[in-house]
Amino acid sequence: MQARRGQSSYRDRTEEFFGIVETLRRSTAPDAANNVPYGGGGGGRRDDPRSAVANQSEFKKRAAVIGLAINQTSQKLSKLAQLAKRSSVFDDPTREIQELTAVIKQEISSLNSALIDLQAVRNSHNDERTISRDTTTHSATVVDDLKNRLMDTTKEFKDVLTLRTENMKIHEIRRQRFTSNPSKESTNPFVRQRPLASKPAATQPAPLPWASSSSSSSSSSQLVPRRQGEAESSPLLQQSQQQQQQQMVPLQDTYMESRAEALHNVESTIHELSNIFTQLATMVSQQGEIAIRIDQNMEDTLANVEGAQSQLARYLNSISSNRWLMIKIFFVLIAFLMVFLFFVA
Amino acid sequence: MSITALLVLKCTPDTPNPVILAHAFDFSGFNYFYHPNISEFVRFFGSTVAGRTLPSQRQSVKHKDEVVHSYNRNGLCAVGFMDDRYPVRSAFSLLDQVLDEYQKIFGETWRSAKEVSKQKWPYLVEALEKFKDPAEADKLLKIQMKLDESSIIFHKTIDGLLARGEKLDSLVEKSSDLNKASKMFYKRARKTNTCCTIL
Repeated sequence: MQARRGQSSYRDRTEEFFGIVETLRRSTAPDAANNVPYGGGGGGRRDDPRSAVANQSEFKKRAAVIGLAINQTSQKLSKLAQLAKRSSVFDDPTREIQELTAVIKQEISSLNSALIDLQAVRNSHNDERTISRDTTTHSATVVDDLKNRLMDTTKEFKDVLTLRTENMKIHEIRRQRFTSNPSKESTNPFVRQRPLASKPAATQPAPLPWASSSSSSSSSSQLVPRRQGEAESSPLLQQSQQQQQQQMVPLQDTYMESRAEALHNVESTIHELSNIFTQLATMVSQQGEIAIRIDQNMEDTLANVEGAQSQLARYLNSISSNRWLMIKIFFVLIAFLMVFLFFVA
Repeated sequence: MSITALLVLKCTPDTPNPVILAHAFDFSGFNYFYHPNISEFVRFFGSTVAGRTLPSQRQSVKHKDEVVHSYNRNGLCAVGFMDDRYPVRSAFSLLDQVLDEYQKIFGETWRSAKEVSKQKWPYLVEALEKFKDPAEADKLLKIQMKLDESSIIFHKTIDGLLARGEKLDSLVEKSSDLNKASKMFYKRARKTNTCCTIL
């Protein structure tokens, strides 16, 4: 009764679904593989011409397989993350972690190659025959999606590995703090590839710490080889315990790192100095321009004042020479006055 | 910051106790009566640490307020006793230099040495003196310090340049004012000259 109450706000599309399933089953037999986490790509397949269906189904098969494998890898990765997180000082499941890391690394590399194959297959399909634009976009989207997922998985892998190395570092520190031996027999699990790369000679090349510290930064196109390098170093760590010198490496680590840091500082100081130099140069040139303007102004002033002086000199001359004229005018005036006086008086 | 002692030892796996090949001491910081004790201590400590240093390995051991740095290179080991304010990197580059010098001068004869050698190596003694200042030993440190000084000087220069710029600006203002004033003067003078007839 309660189920019947109220409006039924859904549409029953079961028959449509069955019809679609029938069509699909009739069109291609391998469509059954689409049930895998590939996604809802099967709906659009109906409209394809039959000749292209076989190629598309191969593409779909592969994509489905890859998607499944990516899922499995991510599951294993989460297991590995669990293991790495819970590792304590004493019962370190190192061996399992190593195995898991190796397995995951293998899977990632195989997935990478499979993805590349898939892409090649798709390109070859595109070149063979003319197909609709939708198909190309669809296959491109599928490939991109798989690539993104693979990239995410590899990123998680890298995070897990970093977490693991940090944990081992912490273990190392704790062990050193609590054991009273000189730390010669201690393990150095956070050494990357240095046991192999370091020569037993006197001077270590300075780029080594950069190379080892840059292994934690990854570019997406080189994800797989990087992960290979990192994962290989962890089985190597076990060997390094037996073979090489262990104490050397952390101390040379700090030694090399300090040298590298000093070089960095020197380089940055030189950069700053060059900046200061260029600023100096610009400012000096600007001020030179200002100085030229001042010079110009002063010359103009000089010319003006000289001109004015000459004018005044002429004026003076004219004044002094005009006096004669003035005297003559006065004489004429006085002569008139005399004439007037004579007439009046 | 001072170096108390520098030692060059031979420590190969076939000799259980390292052999002191050259040494230089500077015990000026210590009481005179303790000198033989300290000399003994330095020898013992130096040979122990050198013996425990594996080839191609650098080590630093802290003992009270002195730090012992040792660097083993193919069986030839250099040990330095410095105080703890001496930067580690300079210490190791100093040991590096000492080893280079030793190999240059003595070649490979040290390999056959079995007994504590009695010869004095004056380079070590003057190295002790010269490298009291860690900047001498470590070129990087020296470069860094010089660069810092240069950058300070540069900053002062830039400040002076800015002040000069301000002065130049005020000068340009004044000169342009002067220019205008002189122009007015000239015009006025010209005007009085030709304009009105004299009355």
